[in-house]
Amino acid sequence: MRKKIEIVGLTVLMLWTILSAAQLTQNPGQGYKPPRTVDGHPDLNGTYDLATITPLVRQFTTQRALTDEQAAKAEAMIMKERKDGDAPLSPDRPAPPKGNGDQDIPARYRIASGNVGGYNSFWIDPGWKINVVNGEKRSSIIVDPPDGHLPKMTPEGMQRLASLGFLPRSDTRESNDPGLDRTPGAYDDPERRPPAERCLLGFGSTSGPPALPVLYDNLHQIVQTPQSIMILTEMVHDVRTVRMNAQHLPKNIRLWLGDSVGHWEGDTLVVDTTNFSNKTRFYGSSENLHVVERFTRTGPKTLLYQFTIEDPATWATPWSGEYTWPATDSHIYEYACHEGNYAMTDILKGARERERTTAKTENNK
Amino acid sequence: MRTKLVTSVLCSAVLLLIASLPAAAHHAFGSEFDANAPVLIKGKIVKIEWVNPHTWIHVETTKPDGTTEIWMFEGGSPNTLLRRGVNKTTFPAGTEVIIDGYQARDHSEKRANARNITFTDGRKIFLGSTGTGAPDPEKFPATQEPPK
Amino acid sequence: MTAKILVSCLVLVAATMVFAGQTPKQRSPRPHRNHPDLNGIWEAMNEADYDLEAHTARPAMAVRPGPYGPVPAAPVLALGAVGAVPPSLGVVEGGEIPYKPEALAQKKKNQENWLTGDPEIRCYLPGVPRATYIAQPFRIFQNNTQIFFAYQFAGAVRNIYLKDPGPAPVDSWMGQSVGHWEGNTLVVDVTGMNDQTWFDRAGDFHSDALHVVERYTLKNRDIISYEATIEDPNVFTRPWKISMPLYRRQEKNAQLLDFKCVEFVEELMYGKYRKKPLD
Repeated sequence: MRKKIEIVGLTVLMLWTILSAAQLTQNPGQGYKPPRTVDGHPDLNGTYDLATITPLVRQFTTQRALTDEQAAKAEAMIMKERKDGDAPLSPDRPAPPKGNGDQDIPARYRIASGNVGGYNSFWIDPGWKINVVNGEKRSSIIVDPPDGHLPKMTPEGMQRLASLGFLPRSDTRESNDPGLDRTPGAYDDPERRPPAERCLLGFGSTSGPPALPVLYDNLHQIVQTPQSIMILTEMVHDVRTVRMNAQHLPKNIRLWLGDSVGHWEGDTLVVDTTNFSNKTRFYGSSENLHVVERFTRTGPKTLLYQFTIEDPATWATPWSGEYTWPATDSHIYEYACHEGNYAMTDILKGARERERTTAKTENNK
Repeated sequence: MRTKLVTSVLCSAVLLLIASLPAAAHHAFGSEFDANAPVLIKGKIVKIEWVNPHTWIHVETTKPDGTTEIWMFEGGSPNTLLRRGVNKTTFPAGTEVIIDGYQARDHSEKRANARNITFTDGRKIFLGSTGTGAPDPEKFPATQEPPK
Repeated sequence: MTAKILVSCLVLVAATMVFAGQTPKQRSPRPHRNHPDLNGIWEAMNEADYDLEAHTARPAMAVRPGPYGPVPAAPVLALGAVGAVPPSLGVVEGGEIPYKPEALAQKKKNQENWLTGDPEIRCYLPGVPRATYIAQPFRIFQNNTQIFFAYQFAGAVRNIYLKDPGPAPVDSWMGQSVGHWEGNTLVVDVTGMNDQTWFDRAGDFHSDALHVVERYTLKNRDIISYEATIEDPNVFTRPWKISMPLYRRQEKNAQLLDFKCVEFVEELMYGKYRKKPLD
């Protein structure tokens, strides 16, 4: 009898130890056991489509998780807009109205910059689904601060922004570009234009870090080797090389995408990025921006992407976000931006033309 | 009463949530194109430059006096369309289209933004053509299914 | 007795769990089971980007007639020796590029208009094979399922499809690369290139019918033997080949840094559209 108890006891102990050891490794992957590369780490290789209708910042709802009905309503709304956008027009339609080309665009999509109308819907691919993390339909990518908003900016951060006037930031989205009349000097020089318009980086911090979803071309590719892991962003064919178990570059070497070094914590790839150039200015941050990202496979076709942003010179506290990257079989195509950038010439010429016209009108007064 | 409250809270939450979704407006249009110079061109595609950051569609149109001129229309990034099966042969030279938009600020340039591009029957051109239509929105894209 | 066995099992399992998470300290296993490992930072060490063909040193890349022979053209005069062209015995097998007569005339025109014609000057993507020997390093990422090339110049990239995706839907600057192994050689077949790139700073060019087949053979840990066969029936009378060694960068901290030259050519390309042009 005593022997039996011993055996049972030891078996239980053995099983408990095995299970505990499994729990010791960080497990945001919810128990999913991914296939592994030859050096024993989870295989992150693949192409991912980051598009999602979950926004970065939570809007007007306080809950992190949407109910099924809320999410379904949001998705149905997007689908309907897409279908409406795909609808045919009259072949006898007149030229669009003078001064207001946005009239047939939903009011909340209009912004004051130019009133010349947007893209037809077939050009864009902003996602169709609310993002799901750990079974929750997320109302925002930001999860910390818990209200889903960016933390307060420090006085230093605000002062820096005010004194520099409007200087281009890596997170500028196509829809956030200021209108012609809003910010003086915004069209004076190419250097005043957002990095994406200059074809130096992709819009909206799609190149990252952190990598955020944008209006189209949201594909990213991961190529993993033991010494380094490559993350490619479709826009603007930006490569981030994560050097594994390496030291950061010296302080005087600054890079547009920062310098990324990585290591594994259990089944999670942790990427630490510093050494940003002072031109990147993600969300108005300083060059001391520090980004930590975590990549974890959560299923055969999903990867959980988490990030923490730290810049005490800009935000009172760090802030964090997370969203799921679904794998895709689609291909990334070349995004040779600068080579076809007629728009930059036209944007600057257009601004000069406008100034000439304004000056002429004033002279004639 | 309670149902009404719940419904209105739900509705407002959903509406306001969507208010934050990425807008479809174009960048820097205020500078590049002139909202006071609308154009509508009916003509034939001469060539399509499948380039980033913007596709450029060259269209030859016949003016009332019988002479022809070529306009360049700025579209979006071609990559999304390529993923849906569009390629350089999809819209051969000669395809008839109707494009409306606004002219570049420098009016000496025959350039405009492609605000709407349709066939002569009014269908949006990158949809509904044989074999290259946009995927059924209900089923697209399969990879965006949340993990079970 | 059974208890002892159980305890040993327990210890063994616990030990395995603890050690499983550690990364090996010694050199990582070859990521590619059956093929040579091309991972790393590589760079050509030759003058191919100046001129693929054999040539003596020249005063500059853009010249004008001087009283006793060509002298640097005015826009590059201030560069002095920094702007001169170093000599080379060339990388073209057989010596000369086999141009059709009318294409040779075009090459000469390209040379005369080098400053306005060479896409490298505008930081345009270099195309294939120029990206290989443009004088900046590149990195090969290779595992069992993917091969990817990242170039420091202009951040050019090439994904090497290991499964043929069919014809490229549109032309691109870097083309569409499809790779396979022939023994120890990685063979990359490149199609779908536009006609916008040059092969070098000497005006060597091609049409959009360009077809390039590259061969990368690891000679030893630090040298790849590189060959590229170039075919373009619109421009050349027959296919021709270039070859050169590629050297692994030996520095312990070798890595690619930013060469986002788009920024550097903004004054050149857009300076006159500034509100206050510098000139």
